[in-house]
Amino acid sequence: MIELNKITKKFTLHNQGKTKISVFKNLNLKINPGEIVALTGPSGVGKSSILKMIYGNYVFQSGEIKINNHNIDHKYPRNIIELRKNTIGYVSQFLRVIPRVPTIEIVMEPLLEINSDQDEVREKAEKTLIKLNIDKNLWNLSPLTFSGGEQQRVNVARGLIRNYPCLLLDEPTASLDSVNKDIVLNLINEKKDKGSSIIGIFHDEYSRKYLKAREIDITKISDAK
Amino acid sequence: MEPILSVQNLNKYYGDQVGCKNMNMTLYPGEVVGVVGESGSGKTTFINSISGNLNPDSGKILINTNNEIINFLEISESLKRLLIRTELAFVHQNPRDGLRLDVSAGGNISERLMSIGQRNYGNIRQTIFKWLDKVEIDKSRVDDFPRTFSGGMLQRLQIAKNLVTSPKIIFMDEPTGGLDVSVQAKILDLLRKLVRELNLSVVIVSHDLAVIRLLADKIIVMKNGEAVETGLCDQVLDDPQHSYTQLLVSSVLQV
Repeated sequence: MIELNKITKKFTLHNQGKTKISVFKNLNLKINPGEIVALTGPSGVGKSSILKMIYGNYVFQSGEIKINNHNIDHKYPRNIIELRKNTIGYVSQFLRVIPRVPTIEIVMEPLLEINSDQDEVREKAEKTLIKLNIDKNLWNLSPLTFSGGEQQRVNVARGLIRNYPCLLLDEPTASLDSVNKDIVLNLINEKKDKGSSIIGIFHDEYSRKYLKAREIDITKISDAK
Repeated sequence: MEPILSVQNLNKYYGDQVGCKNMNMTLYPGEVVGVVGESGSGKTTFINSISGNLNPDSGKILINTNNEIINFLEISESLKRLLIRTELAFVHQNPRDGLRLDVSAGGNISERLMSIGQRNYGNIRQTIFKWLDKVEIDKSRVDDFPRTFSGGMLQRLQIAKNLVTSPKIIFMDEPTGGLDVSVQAKILDLLRKLVRELNLSVVIVSHDLAVIRLLADKIIVMKNGEAVETGLCDQVLDDPQHSYTQLLVSSVLQV
């Protein structure tokens, strides 16, 4: 379960004339287990900011964010690190990895945090890559030279290889062709059926309908103009 | 879980000059803390002060060793030296500072083992091979002198030399500083794997924010000898609150 209560969020740009940009004044949101919420609205309205606040990348000025009853509190970075290890999965828009590390190892990494059996983890990573249509010839190559769609599927594989109770998805299907899009959407549905609370940004209506997502238009609750 | 290292109100002055002041840090097992800041901000003074290379003027350095918490600044010199050889390790920016260039690669790795009393040649030799393999240096190079190694190999050798006694806390000062980018990627990958496999706790100093983002869980941003912002690494880099951190983050060139 993900809960946001009375969140205010603003940016202060100290080196640009101390400009203040208010994004949210009173944001309330709740995502139940087995539910998918899709955030909608034009860019710059604060969709990604919501995901980043939940993941702990962005601070908020007041209010509270609870993940399975644990508070996101930046005074205790250790707790956020633990939550990320065990509770929150995040599929970002872009793949950020160490150059020259093979794809298979990148996909294995989140699972190795909780399982030290290399062979078992490798097998699971291989299964996930097969599911996501990543050619076997690519497994031992770094994904940095892959096409946009392939990189995105590696990113999805990495984010979905575990069963996190909470999942944050930042445009996970943006650069995929229709076949691969359906594969990823089915995988997301599997996670929903397993009881994950899922919140995401899906730029196309097709994906939102496919996932039967509850849509929330951020324009109405955002303070960013 | 208890922190393995806790630094409290640490101060180090050079005469009237501030080296670093009022520094605080907690490091948990398996955690990586990155220290960033421009040249002269006190990063190296800080890491040297908490690792036994420099004597700080005041403060506490509490180390949790075998479930006993000791203040590193109040123990005897001999115990300090033992800790530096066993529980702590220091990886220098320039591997030539951390290696003996006129001793073979194997000899460099075995030094810490012998200093804690290991004498069985066969066992030592086996441990050396295990570590050469871990840091991806070919076994056939074991009896070669480090001066015949490339910069990247030297750095990997220095890492092996330091980790061979399974230290709990590793200090690193710009470990990828002088390396070209392809070698830097290799070392970063190696460090990440070792941190996970051996549950290492690491304090790493770097001026390269990309390196810190890939390795660190938490971050300390220093300016003029003081910490201006601390917290979760990607939060501080993605949503910096202090004006200096904002300047630092926005000054990075995009590739």
